[in-house]
Amino acid sequence: MISRLPLRRTARALAWAVLLIDLFVLVVWAASGGGRFWPVWVWLGTGLVVASVWWVGESTGGFRRLTGQAVLISLFLIGVWAAAGGGSFWPVWPIAGLGLLLGLRAVTRGVQNEARVEELTQSRAGAVEAAESQLRRIERDLHDGAQARLVALGMNIGLAEQQLAKDPEKAQEHLAEAREAAGAALQELRDLARGIHPPILADRGLDAAIRALTTHTAVPVSVDVDLPERPPAAVETAAYFVAAEGLANALKHAQASRIDIDVHEREDAVVVRVLDDGRGGVSEAGGLRGLRQRVEALDGSLRIASPEGGPTVIEAVLPCVR
Amino acid sequence: MRAVIAEDLALLRDGLTRLLRDNEIEVVAAVGDGDALVHAVLRERPDIAIVDIRMPPTFRDEGLRAALHLRERTPETAVLIVSQYVEGTYARELLADGRGGVGYVLKDRVMDVDAFVETVRRVADGGTALDPEVVAHFVGRRDDRLAALTPRENEVLALIAEGRSNAGIAESLVLTVGAVEKHVASIFKKLGLPPSDETHRRVLAVLAYLDSAC
Repeated sequence: MISRLPLRRTARALAWAVLLIDLFVLVVWAASGGGRFWPVWVWLGTGLVVASVWWVGESTGGFRRLTGQAVLISLFLIGVWAAAGGGSFWPVWPIAGLGLLLGLRAVTRGVQNEARVEELTQSRAGAVEAAESQLRRIERDLHDGAQARLVALGMNIGLAEQQLAKDPEKAQEHLAEAREAAGAALQELRDLARGIHPPILADRGLDAAIRALTTHTAVPVSVDVDLPERPPAAVETAAYFVAAEGLANALKHAQASRIDIDVHEREDAVVVRVLDDGRGGVSEAGGLRGLRQRVEALDGSLRIASPEGGPTVIEAVLPCVR
Repeated sequence: MRAVIAEDLALLRDGLTRLLRDNEIEVVAAVGDGDALVHAVLRERPDIAIVDIRMPPTFRDEGLRAALHLRERTPETAVLIVSQYVEGTYARELLADGRGGVGYVLKDRVMDVDAFVETVRRVADGGTALDPEVVAHFVGRRDDRLAALTPRENEVLALIAEGRSNAGIAESLVLTVGAVEKHVASIFKKLGLPPSDETHRRVLAVLAYLDSAC
C-alpha cells in the first residue's frame, strides 16, 4: 500500500533536525560574540525547506485548496509590492517558487494516484476471485454434504412411513438411519459455519477466539491481544484468520518450539503478527495465498519473512476505517 | 421435575417443550432471551434451566452469561446449555465453580430423545454432562498431571467428562464396575484431588481435564 505516512514522517524528522541546526546556529552566534543577527537568514532558509516538504507531502488539503492558497499568497505579495511603491518586481521570485512547489506536488500526487489505482485494481480483482472461490467451495460443501444428507433423511422417513403398518421393525430401522443422517448434516453445517465465522469470535472477540485456537496445540503458544476496542467486523474476521492460518502453518511445517501471536493497534490499523522459531523457508501457497487476498481486499498488507533456518514472521496490517 | 426453557427460535422452543412434556418433565416457562430467563428462573425456581447460548438482543453469548449469572444467584437450579456449537472455553466457565448440576451439549443430542431426557434428569439431579464433541477437543493434549494417567484412565476420564456414571462407563468400556471404580480412584489420586463428596471430585477431575489443554 502506498501511504502518505512516510513522507509525513520524513517531514517530521526533518523538522526536528532543522530545529537542532537552528539552535546550534544560535549558539554559534552567541559564542562568536553576537553582533549582527545573521541566524535569522539560516532560520528562514531551513524553515522554507521544511515548509515546502510539508506542503508537498500533505495531501489531505487537496490540490485545489493548495492552489487557492498559493494564489492568495501571490496576490498578497503583489499588494505589498504595490503598496511599497512598485520598483523592481521582486514578488516574481516567491511566486515562481510557489509555482514550482505546486508543480512538484502535482507530479507526486499523479504518481501516487497512479500507483494507488494499480494497487486497487489488483486487490479488487483478488478480492472478487477470493469471494468467488469461497462461494464455490461453500456451494460444493452444501451440495455434497448437508443437502445430500437431507435427501437421505427425507427418503428414510418416507420409507419408514410406508413400512409403519406392515413392518414396524423395518420402519424403526429407517427412522434410526434418518436420525443419523440429520446428525451428520448438522455436523457438516456446523463445520461450514465455523469456517466462515467462528462462533466464539462473534461472541467474545479476537482475544478469546485466538486463545481458543491455542488450547490444544502441541507447541506452547503465547497470545497477546492489545486493542482498545473491537475493530470493525471485517477487520476482526480477517485478523482472526491471519492468526489461525499463521498458527496452522507454523504447527504444520515449522517444527517450532514456540509460537507468538501478537495483535495490536498501530496508527488506525490492526497489526497481527505470528512468529515462530521453526526452520523457516515458508513458501506462499495454499492457505497463505488466500490469506493475502483476504488481507488485500481490506486494503491491508501481508508480509511473510521466512529465511531458511527461520524464524518465520507473518505480519498483516489491516487499516481500520470506522 | 420442573424446567424453564430459554431458546429464541420458536420452532425449537416449542419442539423442546413438547419433547419434555411427553417425557413427564413439566415446562413452567419457555422464554426467548437472557433477561426473561433470569426473571423466569427467579420467579419459578425450577429444578433445571435449559438454555440456548445465542439469543437476542446481541446474538452473542447472552444465554451463557445469563446461565453463569443464575449459577451464582440460584445455585439450586441446575443449568443445561443446549447450543448449535460447543466451545471448550465456555465449558470451562460453566464448570469453574466446581459444583455439579451443569451440562453443555449440542442441539443434535435432542435427536436421541431417551438419551437427552436422561441427560436432563442427570444434570437436574446435580450431575454433569459435557458433549462428546467438547471432550474430543481435548484429546491429545499436553499436561504433566494428565501425562501420568494411563491410556485406560484417560478413556475413563473422558467418559466422566461426558457425565457418565461408573456403571455407564463400565458398560461403555466393557469393564466391571469394580474395575472402573479402581480406575476412578487412581485418577483422583494422580490428579491430587482431595477426598470429598463424589460429585465434587468428578467435576474437579473434568475441570483438570479441560484445563490441561491451556
